Amino acid sequence: MITLENVSKSFGKNQVLKGIDLTVNKGEVVAILGPSGSGKTTLLRCINHLEKPNKGKIKIDNFQVDFSRASKAEILSLRQKTAMVFQQFNLFKNKTVVENVMEGLIVAKKLPKEEAFKKSVELLEKVGLGNKLNSYPVQLSGGQQQRVGIARALALNPEVILFDEPTSALDPELVGEVLSIIRKIAKEGITMIIVTHEMAFARDVANHVVFMDEGVIVEEGNPKEIFQYPKEERTIQFLKRFSEEEMYYI
Amino acid sequence: MGAEFNFGLIFDYFLKLLPFIKISLIIVGSSILVGLGVGLLVALPRMYKVPIFQRLSQVYVSFFRGTPILIQLFLIYYGVPEILKLLNVDVSRFDVLYFVILTYGLHSAAFISEGIRASVSAVDRGQIEAAYSVGMNGYEAFKRIIAPQAFAIWIPILGNLIIGTLKDTSLAFTLGVMELTGQSQTLGLLNRHFIESYLALALVYFILSVFLEKGFILLERRFIKYEKTSVEKSGNAFKIRNLFGKLNRDVIVVKEGTRL
Amino acid sequence: MKLDLSFIWTAFIQILPAIPNTLFITVVSVFIGFLIGTFSAIVRIYKVPFLSQIASGYVTVVRGTPMITHLLIIYYSLSMLLDSLAKNYHLPFNSASIPMMVFAIISFSITAGAYLSEVVRAGITSIERGQIEAAYSVGMTTTQALKRIIFPQAFAISLPNLSNTFIGMLHGSTLAFIVSVVDINAKAQIVASTNWKFFEAYIAAALIFWGITIVIEKMTSLLEKRFSVFSRGGVK
Repeated sequence: MITLENVSKSFGKNQVLKGIDLTVNKGEVVAILGPSGSGKTTLLRCINHLEKPNKGKIKIDNFQVDFSRASKAEILSLRQKTAMVFQQFNLFKNKTVVENVMEGLIVAKKLPKEEAFKKSVELLEKVGLGNKLNSYPVQLSGGQQQRVGIARALALNPEVILFDEPTSALDPELVGEVLSIIRKIAKEGITMIIVTHEMAFARDVANHVVFMDEGVIVEEGNPKEIFQYPKEERTIQFLKRFSEEEMYYI
Repeated sequence: MGAEFNFGLIFDYFLKLLPFIKISLIIVGSSILVGLGVGLLVALPRMYKVPIFQRLSQVYVSFFRGTPILIQLFLIYYGVPEILKLLNVDVSRFDVLYFVILTYGLHSAAFISEGIRASVSAVDRGQIEAAYSVGMNGYEAFKRIIAPQAFAIWIPILGNLIIGTLKDTSLAFTLGVMELTGQSQTLGLLNRHFIESYLALALVYFILSVFLEKGFILLERRFIKYEKTSVEKSGNAFKIRNLFGKLNRDVIVVKEGTRL
Repeated sequence: MKLDLSFIWTAFIQILPAIPNTLFITVVSVFIGFLIGTFSAIVRIYKVPFLSQIASGYVTVVRGTPMITHLLIIYYSLSMLLDSLAKNYHLPFNSASIPMMVFAIISFSITAGAYLSEVVRAGITSIERGQIEAAYSVGMTTTQALKRIIFPQAFAISLPNLSNTFIGMLHGSTLAFIVSVVDINAKAQIVASTNWKFFEAYIAAALIFWGITIVIEKMTSLLEKRFSVFSRGGVK
């Protein structure tokens, strides 16, 4: 179980996160929605300390970190318990596809090379890229690169996988292949936090939806509650921006 | 080795060196002018892919970038009179200064020609295509669209080149030209206060470099106004997009930041 | 005086023994300079207080002054320092007992270090931030990330600049004659004045340098091709 307590973050004078509290249960798929600037990506990046919060605590099962006094070892531990799938994929340019997936296993999990290789090939086949093992990222399409990114995250067997707008940088026709992989993983019970703009997808895949605006969590609940019966005015306004057909009945 | 170290002497020597700035700058200025002329001549065959001359240009550039400037100084000083003698032209009583300017001129021409080529090719291909599509011919497209943009890209390159040439002039003393370095050696010998005199020398060059750099930054700004930063300055390194299509966007043809 | 083309060959042969000197000075200076440069680049990128200002100052000053001033200042000040230390502490050696080549190498290393610092810095900072974020997110420490992901990419990108700096130092090594090191240039001068055939001797020297430079350029091209496999590439 992952708990965020009173997480705040400012960039200069701009306070982007205003005391966020969030609980994610094991196996849950949480979708975080909200307009640009709401702080949702910043919140995600605070979880694996790519952004340093000014205040707050995070607890993953029995492991707790106080962000205002996080030590280097604690940060490293935090990063080893989490994995991230990036909007810009960020595959290691100087490594092949299979090496990309192996990197974390060899370096952070200290697995022997053969074992890491086997596991990586398995996962790459799972995401449908078993035939691209020795290609370099520059030779792949965006959708393919993102799938490698997902395989790389899966390989680490983390407590939670963080998805930072995984399909926002993709051409429309490539979005589907990535979403179907994410859907597949969701069914396997892996804890996931997804920041996304894909409303229909969020509604489909998530079992908990969080709506953020201006640095606070405005409303959260299961998809039915949020999409069909939103309570807060801001939530209603935000959802209205998407066409009426989007809000079908579950 | 020498007498006691004396800080005050540095400033004294500094002042004594100042008058010699003039001759160093004359060398730099004349050399760059020669370099611009020759450089353009050398760049054209390569840009327009003129047979034979293109090869000659390549060899020229390769030679003048591939040999040390000291060797070039000696080569031209001893060689040009020999060659001209064969044509019955006697230059043995010409002032050394002409040979020095010729050498630095030919040397910088090689870098200038590469700089011109690089700047022109760094202009987005789409610009040329757009120019043609609105009905311009090659000459008009070049004059109105390519050249101005290439020029804006070229200014920092030229700036680096000039500063590089200034530093190169520190070798002219080997042919007996009494410029800054030569004078500082004389001053040092006078009282055996070598360190102070060379520190003063370094100071003079440093101030000149900074001065020239700031000057070029101002010049860049005036031309960069309409350019969406295609040249970014980070510290002393320059990045130019699309240069040779490489990810390495640092200018590799430039003398200053890469070669000495 | 007629041009004696056959002497060019003779001069060439006589200058040959000086090539190892030149190469040795260049390689050692570039190597030490690379260490200095990398350290100074990292210190500047990570904005280490105090050290990064010194590094920036070092780079600016060295790059803004001619290489000959570095050589002259280092030579005279080190000699004086050494001599006064020798006198005060009754050391068995003084500046005259140190081979001239050492002064040349020390000075050239300092020069190379400043230029290489810029090359390394540009190489590292040109790597997208996303690469290092991805490295952190799979649980690597900063050292691991630098070693496995950042440096290899930075190296590939910096190859042309590294090569240019090396060539620049190769050409700059001709200054060594000022401190009486017999490099290619000094040898050419000796051969020239001994035989009173200046033009021919310097042509030989020029050809030697030209040849070495071209070899280095070709080698760099080959290296670039090997390393560029992950930055260029087929489809996209």
